[in-house]
Amino acid sequence: MAAVQVSEAEKVYIMHGVQDDLRVDGRGCDDYRHMEIETDVVSNTSGSARVKLGHTDILVGVKAEMSRPKLEKPNEGCLEFFVDCSANATPEFEGRGGEDLGTEIANTLYRVFDNGHNIDLKSLCICPMEHCWTLYVDVLLLQCDGNLFDAISVAIKAALFNTRIPKVQMIEDEEGTKEIELSDDPYDCMRLDVENVPCIVTLCKIGHRHVVDATLQEKACSMASLLVAVTRKGTITCVRKVGGGSLDPESVFEMIETGKRVGKALHTPLQEILQKEESLGKKRHKVGFLG
Amino acid sequence: MLKSKTFVKKTRSGGVMKIVREHYLRDDIWCGSEVCDSCKQDSPVLQQDPCLESSLCKCPHYILPDTNVVLHQIDVLEDPAITNVIILQTVLQEARHRSAPVYKRIKDVIHNVERHFYTFTNEHHRETYIEQAQGESANDRNDRAIRVAAKWYSEHLKKDQKEEGFQIILLTNDKKNKEKAEEAGLVAYTCEEYIKSLVANPELVDRLASTPDDVNEIESGKIIFQEHLPLSKLQQGIKSGTYLQGTFRSNRDNYLEATVWVHGDTEENKEVLIQGLKNLNRAVHEDVVAVQLLPKDQWVAPSSVVLQDEGTTEDDEEEEKENSLKSVVHESMLKPTGKVVGIIKRNWRPYCGMLSKSQIKEARKHLFTPADRRIPRIRIETRQASTLEGQRIIVAIDGWPKNSRYPNGHFVRNLGIAGDKETETEVLLLEHDVPHQPFSQAVLSFLPKMPWSITEEDFKSRTDLRHIDVCSVDPPGCTDIDDALHCRDLENGNLEVGVHIADVSHFIRPGNALDQEAASRGTTVYLCEKRIDMVPELLSSNLCSLRSNVERLAFSCIWEINHNAEIINTRFTKSVINSKASLTYAEAQMRIDDTSMNDEITRSLRGLNRLAKILKKKRIEMGALTLSSPEVRFHIDSETHDPIDLQTKELKETNSMVEEFMLLANISVAKKIYEEFAECALLRKHPAPPPSNYDMLVKAAKSKDLDIRTDSAKALADSLDAAQVEGFPYFNTLLRILATRCMMQAVYFCSGMDTDFHHYGLASPIYTHFTSPIRRYSDIIVHRLLAVSIGADVTYPDLMDKHKQAALCNNLNYRHKMSQYAQRSSVAFHTQLFFKSKGIINEGGFILFVKKNAIVVLIPKFGLEGTVFFENRDKPSPRLSFKEEIPTLTVEDTVFRVFDKVKVTISLDASNVQHQKIRMSLVEPVIPGVSVSPQSNCNSEPDAKKPKLES
Repeated sequence: MAAVQVSEAEKVYIMHGVQDDLRVDGRGCDDYRHMEIETDVVSNTSGSARVKLGHTDILVGVKAEMSRPKLEKPNEGCLEFFVDCSANATPEFEGRGGEDLGTEIANTLYRVFDNGHNIDLKSLCICPMEHCWTLYVDVLLLQCDGNLFDAISVAIKAALFNTRIPKVQMIEDEEGTKEIELSDDPYDCMRLDVENVPCIVTLCKIGHRHVVDATLQEKACSMASLLVAVTRKGTITCVRKVGGGSLDPESVFEMIETGKRVGKALHTPLQEILQKEESLGKKRHKVGFLG
Repeated sequence: MLKSKTFVKKTRSGGVMKIVREHYLRDDIWCGSEVCDSCKQDSPVLQQDPCLESSLCKCPHYILPDTNVVLHQIDVLEDPAITNVIILQTVLQEARHRSAPVYKRIKDVIHNVERHFYTFTNEHHRETYIEQAQGESANDRNDRAIRVAAKWYSEHLKKDQKEEGFQIILLTNDKKNKEKAEEAGLVAYTCEEYIKSLVANPELVDRLASTPDDVNEIESGKIIFQEHLPLSKLQQGIKSGTYLQGTFRSNRDNYLEATVWVHGDTEENKEVLIQGLKNLNRAVHEDVVAVQLLPKDQWVAPSSVVLQDEGTTEDDEEEEKENSLKSVVHESMLKPTGKVVGIIKRNWRPYCGMLSKSQIKEARKHLFTPADRRIPRIRIETRQASTLEGQRIIVAIDGWPKNSRYPNGHFVRNLGIAGDKETETEVLLLEHDVPHQPFSQAVLSFLPKMPWSITEEDFKSRTDLRHIDVCSVDPPGCTDIDDALHCRDLENGNLEVGVHIADVSHFIRPGNALDQEAASRGTTVYLCEKRIDMVPELLSSNLCSLRSNVERLAFSCIWEINHNAEIINTRFTKSVINSKASLTYAEAQMRIDDTSMNDEITRSLRGLNRLAKILKKKRIEMGALTLSSPEVRFHIDSETHDPIDLQTKELKETNSMVEEFMLLANISVAKKIYEEFAECALLRKHPAPPPSNYDMLVKAAKSKDLDIRTDSAKALADSLDAAQVEGFPYFNTLLRILATRCMMQAVYFCSGMDTDFHHYGLASPIYTHFTSPIRRYSDIIVHRLLAVSIGADVTYPDLMDKHKQAALCNNLNYRHKMSQYAQRSSVAFHTQLFFKSKGIINEGGFILFVKKNAIVVLIPKFGLEGTVFFENRDKPSPRLSFKEEIPTLTVEDTVFRVFDKVKVTISLDASNVQHQKIRMSLVEPVIPGVSVSPQSNCNSEPDAKKPKLES
């Protein structure tokens, strides 16, 4: 991943700052950078969102397509993740350079969402064994400036919130042939409940303390970080240690606690902002990619 | 301003797709009215003082119809009286979506400048575009869009108008829409209210299509028919095989019987018989229907009874009639029988016919009897019944409710007095779907500018053949000369023969309006005294016509031929020719025969004639058939244009000379284009008829102890030649006439779509049409293909697309067939006119067919064929016995066989104005009680109401 070169002196400076709960850009250890969210940015998706965190820029599109349910879960829909690392983000991604990172993020996302409570997959089922909705969540990294996971998870939550799935009905005649009927009103659609969709909080161990939303420089000072997926209620759906260094179980425990607290605090304003944007409806002034 | 339109759609594979389209709004869409000053428009379409005078709305106004009005009342909108109409884009789009024919018709009206129809693109106008609101259906949204646009218009015009009270009238038949419009302060009427209020045009009311509401009021009483199943059920049924899909064909002679031609490849049950009013279940001729087969024990045989719907019958009587169909028949005669369960696609068109006025004096509902007997009678509502009586009119069907004996329809157009020559010609053109309206401005715009001359450019790419003595040989009075010939000696002792065909493809370029029109017309239609051109007259009778002593562009096919008529080599080239003489067949014959004439042209003609004879002999040896059909030519009175005499066409040697070289050219070209374009050559084939077709010919010949062999074309030709009866010279012609009836139709096809190329009648392995591009579109395509293959022209995608070619062939075959039918009807009509003026004539003829209760007689003198019936409605029928093996009919004690000579009286039966027919009755042999005494015609004033002969 995009790495920056940081000199020893800089490292010491950063570490000392963290020690005193004062980071280079003036934040405390538990503070996020400024975040911008906009939903419904790509009109030909079922739902989309764009999140900017610092200079990190993420675009997420959700596309609902009809498919056959998995054999082991005949009455559930599915979620599929795909992460595309655009070479725009950093020259390293050129060619197949971003593939490994993309796969890694996608795998993490599968793990984060791999439990029955985040999204009601049963509501995505149209007809057991035959038809269900598959939500293809496509993540596009437009720019990397640290803390990709957190930004991606927020963007996914916003995009899922924005997703509208057309309502369909199965019509069965006396001979047993089933046909799908589609409502001709484009407003007649299904929404997803994103209440329990988790956000990922990445905690970087710097010196004896840990910080959330590390910048690239801070990341360079950290040997290991912990990735915690927290729902609104504070339940944790996934924990993962990233990076080369090792962590003391003690500090892991501390970091999980912080993650839980920060995560809960992150959910509330996010939900509020999404609701607010939604309520503006058509009057909302769209920013898009040119604003 | 950019908006995006989003909608979801079901894909073919069953998925659901979200589609987003960009939608741009503009503020430079003008209102199109002369009244308005603020719009910067160049030529406003809507007039300042629209001349429609309505008692509902005294002030000047424009009409703004909604979609349903356009869809259902298109006949009213098409009336020239209705002008200054605003057609919204919303309406146009919806109309296009729901009915292509209506869309085409409204587009035609809009294009007509005199009608002042304006299309307002409200969907792209910034102030009239609306988005679908939440919970609003697409229909509601469109209705709202129409109201918004109407509102915008009335406010827009109010702002600008110089005089007071300019109004927009919204026409809608939807009650809710009307209420909402009135709430919004718009002036809205139903179409009926408005049309009825028109002061100057009361006759328009008849053209209103009845809407379902008022039909319900009228039709009470019992339900006659079974409900049609919905389309989705039908489709499932067809998939699962419970129902069969097919085209419904009514029986011409029996209105209670029909057959359904089942689509698909299954050989079994190709044809399903349907009998009885209830089983026919409101299907109309040509509809695509779904049928259900009845159990085998209910299968019936096709009846041979002639039944015509008299209209006033009650239902009980109907049943009686139906029972009369079910005679006891042998089991092998039973056909798969079914009933119609639903209609997949209606194929209604406007029908020509006449009004049968209701018996009740003040009644406004009348029955309309279509000229085509396969179409049921139609109930229409009109106040002008007395004026329409005796006129040919056009009526369209609106619907057929299940409790109505007849379909409901409305009056469309009056063609004129029945029996009138002009009217009848119009009727037969309409009935045979012959496009005959004058060429549109768009088509004419592609004609070359006059004065036209051959340019230097043309000479560069063409062979100059002006020095060669070319001449054309055609029937007298021919103005569209598309072929010319020459023949000259070469130094090596061989002959050079050239066939020069008008280069029509030089003038008609692919894809333009002129080309499209010609492709759609397909062929020129020759009626007895009228020609419906395929291309505008400037081309057909002037620029393309290879007249004498003018330079013309041609496509030449030049052979080097030795004196045994063997082709040494063939050359195709575009050329410039200058014909030295336009001869008639008779003139050419005279030149050949006149030994004193020795000029270049005469020598050339003699050479051609000699070669043609050899070619013909070769062809006949190959097994080409010489068939015969009686053709007649009318002598037309120059002032009244009524036929005064008629004679059968006479064939001269020169006819066959020209024909021979045309065949040779066609075959040479067919070989060339097939060689070059194996996949997309347009060819013509004539399939060999199935052996069963010959049954009647063989049986007929057997009655004279002659054997006709039909195993090959050659055998048939030989046995036809050998079939002679002593002292009966006309016998052979009769036999050939019969043989013609056994043949299949020759058709155009695309070489890539078929494997059988054989032309049976000409005994040629490959054939096409090249020689008459002025009057046949197929020839134009062949010209283009040939031009590409010799590098004289460029190709274009449609020419190389075999599917498009195949579609074109279908149209050409259809048009060709229809033009033949129209031609025949025209001859029949003129024959009737002739006999109308002649009164009653006694004439000798021959029996062509023997039927169960009648004989068909051919009168060679008039080329006329008629039926002598031995059963009569108001007389007890004579004893009849019919033998099928060798068709004979015994009436009382007289035996009738095929080819027997009989004497008949011919007269015109005008008792049914719509179906005037030639009536024949037997004079000799004399059978008491059956034959009639010969009538002299000295007393006969031409009088249509002559008492019927037999009664």
